[in-house]
Amino acid sequence: MNSINDRSINIGEYIPAPDDDMLICRCEEITKGEIRRAVHDGMFTLTEIRRYLRTGMGLCQGQTCSKLVKSIVARELQVSPDKLEPATSRAPMRPIEMCILANERKEEA
Amino acid sequence: MKRYDLIVVGAGPAGLSAAIEAAKLKMNVIVFDENEKPGGQLFKQIHKFFGSKEHKAKIRGFKIGQDLLKEAEELGVTVCLNAVVSGMYMDKELTVKINNQIHHVKGDSIIIATGAAENMVTFEGWTLPGVIGAGAAQTMMNLHGIRPGQKVFMLGTGNVGLVVSYQLLQAGCEVVALADAAPRIGGYGVHASKVARCGVPFYTSHTIVKAEGDTQVTGVTIAEIDNKFQFIPGTEKHFDADTICIAVGLSPMSQLLKMAGCQMEDNPKRGGQVPIVDACGQTSIEGIFAAGDVEGIEEASSAMIGGRICGIAAAHFLGYMDDAAFEQQYEIHQQALSGLRQGMFAPENRGKILTKTEENIDISANLLEKGYLDDSEIEKYPGVTHTIGVHPVIECSQNIPCNPCQNACPKHCIKIGEKITSLPAVDETAQCIGCGMCVASCSGQAIFLVDEACDETYASVMLPYEFLPLPKAGDTGIALGRDGSPCCEAEVISVKSSPAFDHTHLLTMKVPKQYAMKARFFRKEA
Amino acid sequence: MNVRMEEHPILGNFSKGRKVNFTYDGKTLSGYEGEPIAAALKAAGVMVHRYTQKQHKPRGIFCAIGRCTDCVMVVDGQPNIRTCVTPLREGMCVQTQYGVSTKPDKTSEKGSD
Repeated sequence: MNSINDRSINIGEYIPAPDDDMLICRCEEITKGEIRRAVHDGMFTLTEIRRYLRTGMGLCQGQTCSKLVKSIVARELQVSPDKLEPATSRAPMRPIEMCILANERKEEA
Repeated sequence: MKRYDLIVVGAGPAGLSAAIEAAKLKMNVIVFDENEKPGGQLFKQIHKFFGSKEHKAKIRGFKIGQDLLKEAEELGVTVCLNAVVSGMYMDKELTVKINNQIHHVKGDSIIIATGAAENMVTFEGWTLPGVIGAGAAQTMMNLHGIRPGQKVFMLGTGNVGLVVSYQLLQAGCEVVALADAAPRIGGYGVHASKVARCGVPFYTSHTIVKAEGDTQVTGVTIAEIDNKFQFIPGTEKHFDADTICIAVGLSPMSQLLKMAGCQMEDNPKRGGQVPIVDACGQTSIEGIFAAGDVEGIEEASSAMIGGRICGIAAAHFLGYMDDAAFEQQYEIHQQALSGLRQGMFAPENRGKILTKTEENIDISANLLEKGYLDDSEIEKYPGVTHTIGVHPVIECSQNIPCNPCQNACPKHCIKIGEKITSLPAVDETAQCIGCGMCVASCSGQAIFLVDEACDETYASVMLPYEFLPLPKAGDTGIALGRDGSPCCEAEVISVKSSPAFDHTHLLTMKVPKQYAMKARFFRKEA
Repeated sequence: MNVRMEEHPILGNFSKGRKVNFTYDGKTLSGYEGEPIAAALKAAGVMVHRYTQKQHKPRGIFCAIGRCTDCVMVVDGQPNIRTCVTPLREGMCVQTQYGVSTKPDKTSEKGSD
């Protein structure tokens, strides 16, 4: 389980950094600054960050940025990245058009 | 809903090997793969593999891939391609997208062999066209015959970065430099050396400041970093480049396992989020297994053995194999696997800084920092002797599990012994006949045949050559040293090619005597 | 330097399908049937496959194995087609993707914001 659930810990003020405009999530175009601010807005888990900012919710489903987002959040929370539970894994693992999901038919056994 | 004894997800080296073992036992098995072609990343591996005979050492990766596919085909393994597994649910149910249809399938056992994804680093301009993964470069040049760029900069000196750099050179691209944020080269020294001797510089403790260009890469600036990974002002270096390759490691693609509820852990030694598995690759859910990179980042050779273990374990789990047969098979595979998991680069040594070889010889700091053995260090290694007449000079200085050179010599000049990681030693009492089999068989291209005095003034050096155009006897040019810098004029005496050498040509050049132990590469005069 | 390799020291010659024509933003280009669209574009010197939705930045091939989805373009009218894993066919209509459409908006034409 996630060990970073204590919302009362003091992580200090958000301090702008020179590389805050660095793009992290290539699909949804989310920057490092946005992710850092989200943590200070109270989003401590990767699932929360994902819902809040849409990091890893684009076409590639976080293939490229998951690890990067994790390390940014961990640094902001001043914990080791392995303390953070990865965001929930769920279907579809790859982008699939809605019409394909909608047209699913029952198969004969 | 269709039911199978075994469903394998991923038709790479691990998945195919698993399916082969299951099919041998007449299990009803299907392999799903999202790609158009099977084989995973194996078909991009055009270098000769390490290991011993049982690990298919000195055979090129793509050839191993062809053999694996043939074996699967002969056993009637069904490989379903363009099949995207989109989810894994309770009771071993999968959803698979095939031809714009979602199908539900159920396996009595499941082996997940989905491999890994490339890690990335960020820097200014990292989203520009021209910044690509090292795997992308490999895919373009080795599968599609497309050069990724003319001038390529490589970030990362693990085996992927080193091997891909060499392959870029083979494809006729210029590699302007390699850099690594770590103070040491991460991959095999022999892989680094074959790049370094072509004249490619290594910058350790350096990383990218920015990729330059407006709509595509036109250059790259790197700078040195301190031990807190902060740039040191004033150390910036610029390179013209149209392509920047990123080779900074791999992460297991383990999301399906997590979704199915397998217990996971974050294990840096295995590359990130991996399932907790037993010795057979079985996850916390009975009947669900993980094989290959998804279970821990390693080489394709170990992925194939791991896959075979999972295959027989699934068979044993479903009663297709009795305890005794399973134990016996398991023992064989496990031994092969532990053979590969030895030496300096073994998973257990990841992150450790070793300073001595198993023979208690200093590990070359120069090799780790710059990619080549210094001329002054070379004499320390047991493969370097000075017998009169032609003799092998083996510049193999790290303990890696590999021994084809020992069997290659018809005169038994080369000794490694029982321990596969031992440094090869030259037996000075055995007579080298200059056949060059050892030169061609060394996956690390670290063996040279040297005659230190073929006449009054000249020495001859035979080296492995895998580039085009192939020089021919009589060509004159420059001999390059281990560091890739020109050391003297050279003339090609002979170029030997043979199917037995498998595309490694044996180029013998004549150099002034004093360069016999220095000249290690040939460049034709432009 | 030629982007396509004539001969490879280890792999020899690359066996390619028949030569086919396709259009890229209205221009006629040629490539080999069955190779990824991205390979044919690369051989023709095309580096920019799309401009992003928010910041209108150029993107091209990144992973080349269908994972990163950076190389998506509008192919035969359908957006978000991964050109690195979609085989080239005769007569395909390949267009630069702006956001998720073929229509460049004003900012992306300038190439930056």
